[in-house]
Amino acid sequence: MTRTRGSRTRAVTMVLVAALLATACGGPAGTTEGDDQASGTIRLLTPIFEGADGKTVLEEQLDAFKEEYPDITVEVDYTSYGKLNEKLTTSIAGGRPYDVMLMGVGWIPPFAAKGALAELDENQQELAERYNERVVEPGIYQGKVYGLPIMLDTRFGLYRKDIFAEAGIAAPPSNFAELREIGRQLTVRDARGKLTRAGVDILSNDLRQTFLPLMWANGGELWTSDGQPAFNSPEAVGALQLMADIILTDKSEDFGFTQPGATGLPLAQGRAAMMVGHNNHLLAIEEQAPELIEEDKIGFFMISNERPAMFQGGTLATVSAKSQRPAAAKALVSFLTDEQASLAANEQRGNVPALNSLSDSDYVQRNPAAQFAMANLDAAYSEGGVPAWLEIRGDFKAAIESVLLGQKDPQQALDELVAKAQAAIAKG
Amino acid sequence: MTSTLETVSVASASRAPRPPRRRRRLGAERRRAAYLMLAPSVIHLIWWIGLPVVATFGLAFTDYDIIAGTVEWAGLDNFRQIFADDIWNLSIWHTVVFTFFTVPVAMAIAVVIAVLLNQRIKALAWYRAAFFMPHITATVAIALVWMWMFEPNLGLFNLLLGWIGVNGPAWLSDPDWAMPAVILVSIWKGIGLKMLIYLAALQNIPHDLYEAANLDGASGPRKFFAITLPLLKPATFFVFIVSMIDAFQVFDQVYVLTPDGGPANSTTVMTYEIYRTAFGEFDISAACAQSVVLFAFLLVLTVIGRRLTGKDGDEA
Repeated sequence: MTRTRGSRTRAVTMVLVAALLATACGGPAGTTEGDDQASGTIRLLTPIFEGADGKTVLEEQLDAFKEEYPDITVEVDYTSYGKLNEKLTTSIAGGRPYDVMLMGVGWIPPFAAKGALAELDENQQELAERYNERVVEPGIYQGKVYGLPIMLDTRFGLYRKDIFAEAGIAAPPSNFAELREIGRQLTVRDARGKLTRAGVDILSNDLRQTFLPLMWANGGELWTSDGQPAFNSPEAVGALQLMADIILTDKSEDFGFTQPGATGLPLAQGRAAMMVGHNNHLLAIEEQAPELIEEDKIGFFMISNERPAMFQGGTLATVSAKSQRPAAAKALVSFLTDEQASLAANEQRGNVPALNSLSDSDYVQRNPAAQFAMANLDAAYSEGGVPAWLEIRGDFKAAIESVLLGQKDPQQALDELVAKAQAAIAKG
Repeated sequence: MTSTLETVSVASASRAPRPPRRRRRLGAERRRAAYLMLAPSVIHLIWWIGLPVVATFGLAFTDYDIIAGTVEWAGLDNFRQIFADDIWNLSIWHTVVFTFFTVPVAMAIAVVIAVLLNQRIKALAWYRAAFFMPHITATVAIALVWMWMFEPNLGLFNLLLGWIGVNGPAWLSDPDWAMPAVILVSIWKGIGLKMLIYLAALQNIPHDLYEAANLDGASGPRKFFAITLPLLKPATFFVFIVSMIDAFQVFDQVYVLTPDGGPANSTTVMTYEIYRTAFGEFDISAACAQSVVLFAFLLVLTVIGRRLTGKDGDEA
């Protein structure tokens, strides 16, 4: 009996150890010796070539890559930004990370800080010639280049020129006071008080990505110079107060007026006069109401108060530090970020090319939102910046919502948010 | 294995038959065969369920950095961390509220529907299929359709409310209405399976009990409360446990109807928080600790359910 119990204990211990080893077998993302030859089979994880159309675009580009590098075979795993973290973490934990990973602006510091990304052999001076400085910055961590930009996702103001003209408003708002005033003026409710047109739509865009450009426009910053959270500064509080005023005081929009996924874009439907939106909302308008673009009824404006500001996200190509084929992986990164491939990627998503040289391309000339964004990149600001960003960013939405619902005042909500961010940074 | 069996067989044949020992040998052979046949599923269970469960419990007491690949002993730190998190505590409360409203309400509706569908009525199979349909339809597809119905400006509900002069709420964006909306969808979706189980149980109730009750002049409600419900006790226990586990593990409809935990985290539930902690914050150890807490909840509720409703032995 004693012997049996001992055997059981040993068996349980072995199972526990085996399970922990099996789970944690991903191991640190250290460097690999790898090959110096650009050859072999490499794996690519992409969140930007979604659906059948996206797949077709990428396959065409990979055919061209194969012609240039006949010894390299690329296996593609298609995903979306919503599933990107799951794919990245499980591949790293499973000990088989993707060789080339396309990821967002905020992903670089967390992954680079933990040694999961390989440094790219890029000269920063050369990069400064190919890209706007603001575009390169998100791919750099502690002075080293870990990601090269393929495309930019920008957020700025969009407005309906026809609705503005009907109301006799000559120009879009140039500061917060005008934004509120025009919003109030263009808001329409029916006899029962039901909102039929929002004067300004701040809810159709991701709330964090609406708040941040407002904060930057108000002169605020995400971080202090020593990397501590600064998004409870008076400027940040002022930006959140503006959002609260639009919803709670001016009633230029009702919370819940838009329901992403269930209805189309209010601006395209004439249910909003202006909005804080994404450059690829132009693509949605083109699908829902193409006449608005044909008749030049959509205009763009920088969000401004203390300074003009535009939110700049984007997708960067990176190489895993554990790639067994680093030379091949880097060759693919170079290919995906060159003019031809990145132009194709941008065109299928309605995004903004990162390369300066593409500002003259037919695509950009045809796309006024992309033109507007490229012309204003000097006023672009990016989120991220610290290794704990992916933990911090998820808390913004609930904090902003609590203010827009009148549950908390902006200072309180942002102070609590900063406290959580400080805890996440301290945890490392 | 073959040679062992042959040896045993030859040895048995050379001796005088001794029934008890032979029975034992036969039992040993059967056991070996049984182990052999069970091996694939046992290996499957150990590899795909056993190891992850053990790993979850193990990692809950560590600080595992999934990106860096480092593991350090953390003791109870993860449990302290999650219980200091207001949103996790809120998600526990939401899960309890969700379970409280979905399980008993759906069970009550399912019993009534099962009794109605146990009658001899026209198009019975069609009715049964219709009630079961939500269960076999993809949750995401169902949630998307309901999302359209809940849409505040153009959705069906507010359209109907508008006809009677009521400005309907922004169902899924209003923190006061988001959880009731999710509960409504979940009740509707969950009725089918419960109804089916109750229907099967109803058909096992001896008909002569009802005949005897008829002879005694019992009314319909009296027969329902004195015969039907007591004899549905085993089925009720089964439905209760399964529904409760389902309710505590709700994810799909909440995630699709109210992404990111709903307005101001008003619909965040335990499973969503586990998902968010693991893949939003990359804190696998804290997510494992949350999973252990969820497991503890289910274990306790299952034990309570058994005490309240009866033991397995009662049911057959």
